[in-house]
Amino acid sequence: MKLLNKKIASVAMLATVMAGSSSSALATANATMEDVDASFYPYRQSVPTFPGLSAGAVINQSNVDLFADVLDPAVFNFVKDGWTEIKVGETTSFDLHPNYVAATRVNLNEVSLGDQPGEIHNFIAGRPFPTEPDINDPRAGEKVAWNFKYGYNWGDNAAISPFYWKYRDMNSGKVERNIKFDFHFLNFMHRVNQEPTPEVQPNPSKLFRAIYVKANEPFDVKNTQLLIHRKQDDLQRDSSWLYLGFQRRVRKLASGQVTDAFLGSDIMIEDFEGYNGRISDMNWAFKGSKNLLLPFYNHNEMELADDLKERDGYQFVDFEGKGGCFPKITWQLRKVYELEATPVDKNHPISKRTHFVDAQTYTIPRTISYDRKGDMWKTFTIGQAHPDHHLEKNKGSGVSIDDSFSMVDIQASHCTTGQFKGQLDPEMNPRTKFSVQNLRASGR
Amino acid sequence: MRSTLIPQRWLTAVHACSVSCLLATTAPLTQAYTSEDGTLEVNGFIENGTYQRETVGISKSRSTAQLEISKAFGDKGIFSNVSFNGTLRATFDAVYDLNDDEFGDNAGDAVRLENALIGIETPFGSSPVSTGFLIPGTPIPTGFGFDTSANPNEGLKLLGGELRGANGGVGLAVPVRPCDKDSRGCIDDYLDFDSDELRHPEFNDRLDFIREAYVTADVNFDSGRQLSLSVGKQQVIWGRTDLFRVLDVINPVDYSRHNIYDELEDIRIPMWIAHAEYRLGSTEMFDDLNFSLVWNFDKFRPNNLGQGGSPYAILGAGDFFRGMANCWENGCSVANFAAHGGLATDFPAHTIGIRKAEMPSWSLSNTQLGLKVEGEYKGVGFSLNALTYRSHLPSLRGGVEARNPFIADGALDPLGSGEIGGEEKVRDYLIAFDIHFPRVNLIGGSLDFYVDPLKSVFRIETAYTQGEEFANTLKPKLYSESDVLRYVIGWDRPTFIPFLNKKRAFLLSAQVFGQHLLDHDLVKVNGIEAGIPDWEVNHTATFLFKGWYKNDRISPQVIIAHDMRADATTIAPSVEWLIDDNWQLVVGANLKYGGGDKPFDDCRGCNPFPGYTDNLTFQDAGALGLRDLAGVEPLGRFRMGPLGMASEEDEFQITLRYRY
Repeated sequence: MKLLNKKIASVAMLATVMAGSSSSALATANATMEDVDASFYPYRQSVPTFPGLSAGAVINQSNVDLFADVLDPAVFNFVKDGWTEIKVGETTSFDLHPNYVAATRVNLNEVSLGDQPGEIHNFIAGRPFPTEPDINDPRAGEKVAWNFKYGYNWGDNAAISPFYWKYRDMNSGKVERNIKFDFHFLNFMHRVNQEPTPEVQPNPSKLFRAIYVKANEPFDVKNTQLLIHRKQDDLQRDSSWLYLGFQRRVRKLASGQVTDAFLGSDIMIEDFEGYNGRISDMNWAFKGSKNLLLPFYNHNEMELADDLKERDGYQFVDFEGKGGCFPKITWQLRKVYELEATPVDKNHPISKRTHFVDAQTYTIPRTISYDRKGDMWKTFTIGQAHPDHHLEKNKGSGVSIDDSFSMVDIQASHCTTGQFKGQLDPEMNPRTKFSVQNLRASGR
Repeated sequence: MRSTLIPQRWLTAVHACSVSCLLATTAPLTQAYTSEDGTLEVNGFIENGTYQRETVGISKSRSTAQLEISKAFGDKGIFSNVSFNGTLRATFDAVYDLNDDEFGDNAGDAVRLENALIGIETPFGSSPVSTGFLIPGTPIPTGFGFDTSANPNEGLKLLGGELRGANGGVGLAVPVRPCDKDSRGCIDDYLDFDSDELRHPEFNDRLDFIREAYVTADVNFDSGRQLSLSVGKQQVIWGRTDLFRVLDVINPVDYSRHNIYDELEDIRIPMWIAHAEYRLGSTEMFDDLNFSLVWNFDKFRPNNLGQGGSPYAILGAGDFFRGMANCWENGCSVANFAAHGGLATDFPAHTIGIRKAEMPSWSLSNTQLGLKVEGEYKGVGFSLNALTYRSHLPSLRGGVEARNPFIADGALDPLGSGEIGGEEKVRDYLIAFDIHFPRVNLIGGSLDFYVDPLKSVFRIETAYTQGEEFANTLKPKLYSESDVLRYVIGWDRPTFIPFLNKKRAFLLSAQVFGQHLLDHDLVKVNGIEAGIPDWEVNHTATFLFKGWYKNDRISPQVIIAHDMRADATTIAPSVEWLIDDNWQLVVGANLKYGGGDKPFDDCRGCNPFPGYTDNLTFQDAGALGLRDLAGVEPLGRFRMGPLGMASEEDEFQITLRYRY
């Protein structure tokens, strides 16, 4: 731990002195500091452009054909069918926390893949593979996946409290279910910002990360809780537990339950955050990079919902369009890595996912899932909010904040939408919250 | 009677409906409440469950209002997360009014008892062996017979009459009306509910409408460890299995709500308990480790097995107890008893039956104490449990002082023993009992783990107890202790079945419950079985098949339970429909198959009155050679189990709930 801190400090100092110039001392034959800069600051020099597209433009049914190249196939169809419109915002940089960037520099070129998917060597912290993915590299997809897994997605810890989910009939627009959750995340390892770094101790099972979920409303799911322990060793299965309020019991979850609809929503546990599984559960294929419109925006500048009030005045992202299934946000033209994930398990309910990974943040704001026949089944949008235009406590956090989501089941004409109040607040995520016993203690 | 009954039924139906029906019109106004500062939350539900039983009509029409309150107080001194949790519940079961000729004021009838020897049935209180009966071949009077004005032939049913006739076995009559309408067989402080207590059982002297009221607080240590305390009326749940109670025995259970079929959450009887939990969290070895201490300091309460005459009496135990208590208190007719099981017999009071229930009073030594170590180690959840408690199930101990009916009141024993008629003394092997709740010591443990190649979670739970008591016709007091080993192995697997649902997995969950009586006692003699009627080794298997459609708003399921030795099966299909966030409708059925009678030594040949009930070859009380009569009543019920004894209780069920 001390070694890492020292390394981070020295690199930060070095970076300040050299102002981003390359350092022969740190550079290797594989990746350079320029690669790191390009990875974390792709818009420093310029932002992507597309003919006819500018901030303030609206893409709708009438003009969507002009912008087919900057829309993923599902979004294109939605607009083409008149289900939603895309309001274009200015492309902005979502800088991740400097400590995460510094850790990437410190560990540059020290990380390597093992012989089989799911194996990674010498990873300590930061972005494992900051170089531009190479379409000719057969394991490029896997590297992108690792960059996502070890991304600064919610920082070292975070809470989404509250987190409203609505189950909607797309045809009638009827909201069938309203569920109010709290979500909590804690990285046990590879921490770069909040003490303890780089690892929470003791950590006997070598957990990488834990996710704790509690349902607060409505009454029939009140006190339902989910706990996921993800191991550092990607080849080991997650340990997951579910506490059912009406039984007052903790039940260990079988792996099949992470690929099942979570509490009847259109989302499976494996969908959380774009992909919430093991690297080794998928075969990964990098399909190239392109510029696409992605749901990145400044939360405080959106036209927000006024039906869910918070005491501190916080307002949630609103939804609109067909069935109320589409977030009322602006989209940015951004550099994207297209990543295809094919389940190793032939019994998996989907045949593949196509992830559109944001190249700067390595978040997954857009995903299309295909059923076992290969037909488009669901599409997942996770709106990313800039932390400096969000809650006061989130400013300067260097986290691209998951702020809204929409999972549309195209085949069932149904969707689940999510409205986040993401909070980067260590006090809300004590280690004790991520224990099995906490499930029993927090239930009743 | 009919003309006045119908309007009354309609009035009661309107009353029963009033809560839920009124709610239906005012539902939008009923919402959960959260205070401005978010520290006070109030929510709950209102529900009506109406069940129709094939054989008797409505068996339940229960309206429920439940309120759940939580208030967070934050940090107070050394305590953090101080909070109060409360649950209030009020129910009204209109079945006692809607179906009062089965379960209410007009329940029961006059009954006739079998005389296998002469092939006729005689009315209760008018048996061939009754008042004026002489010792055969002599002019010597006996003490048989009872006062039929105090114990008339009305408001009765035959014990187990729902299942069968006496068929040559013992037959008892059971008073079935609420105890304020008919106090016969109502044992003081045990299954002695009056009409109101049956209609709305929460409103009693134990304040059961307060389902829970407890305060919790944590003490956080610098090491990150935590001491969590909770005190109040609460449920403390141990174990990892559904339906079966192997380790989950801290709170007693109310089976009178719906036999074994309600969620344990709804039928555990909350007790005043202090619960301390020391949470170490992760250690160098364990992912999670906790120690907990449970002190149930409430006055003892047994399981509610369902009063005789009420719709749900698990094993028919409540019927048996009430019939026997009436025998003791008032005397009673017993089918096929005298003349080697050939003639109905009118026993006088204080001869056979149940005299009283010895309810443990409150004392420190009668409280219950439990210890548990629980944690996670390399993906395996585990617990080690120890508990000393009072059995929630009754034990019938013989050896109570009773009279000899062969000696007329005040007369000298014609056999020359010197006993005077009416004298009450202990008589070995006599079916006269007191109810006790013995102390039981339990040690056990549980495990759960995931097996990836099988995509399955396994749950194992086991308990070893000392001190449990069982009926035993081979012992002079007709009971004996046995150590018991119980275990459950559970298997859960979410499984996709594409032809039923392409997009949502089904939950397949199976359990096998095993029970071994380690000091079992059983002999076969003269073609019958005598000793402990409970099976030495028995297994019950359950299987749950549950699916979800329409984003989990429609959920069909089937639960199947099969008792291996009783060969009895219950199939419970149901469909749950979440109409919206507030309304839920559940339609289901509960169907029973198989089972069948399981005769056992009924102690008619136990020879409790040597000289009168023996023969030339065997004169000793309890002599095995005399045992050649067996019947289903009363002990066959322990072999038929809860499933077999309810085999005539097929039901259609509909439950509507509004949550807020």
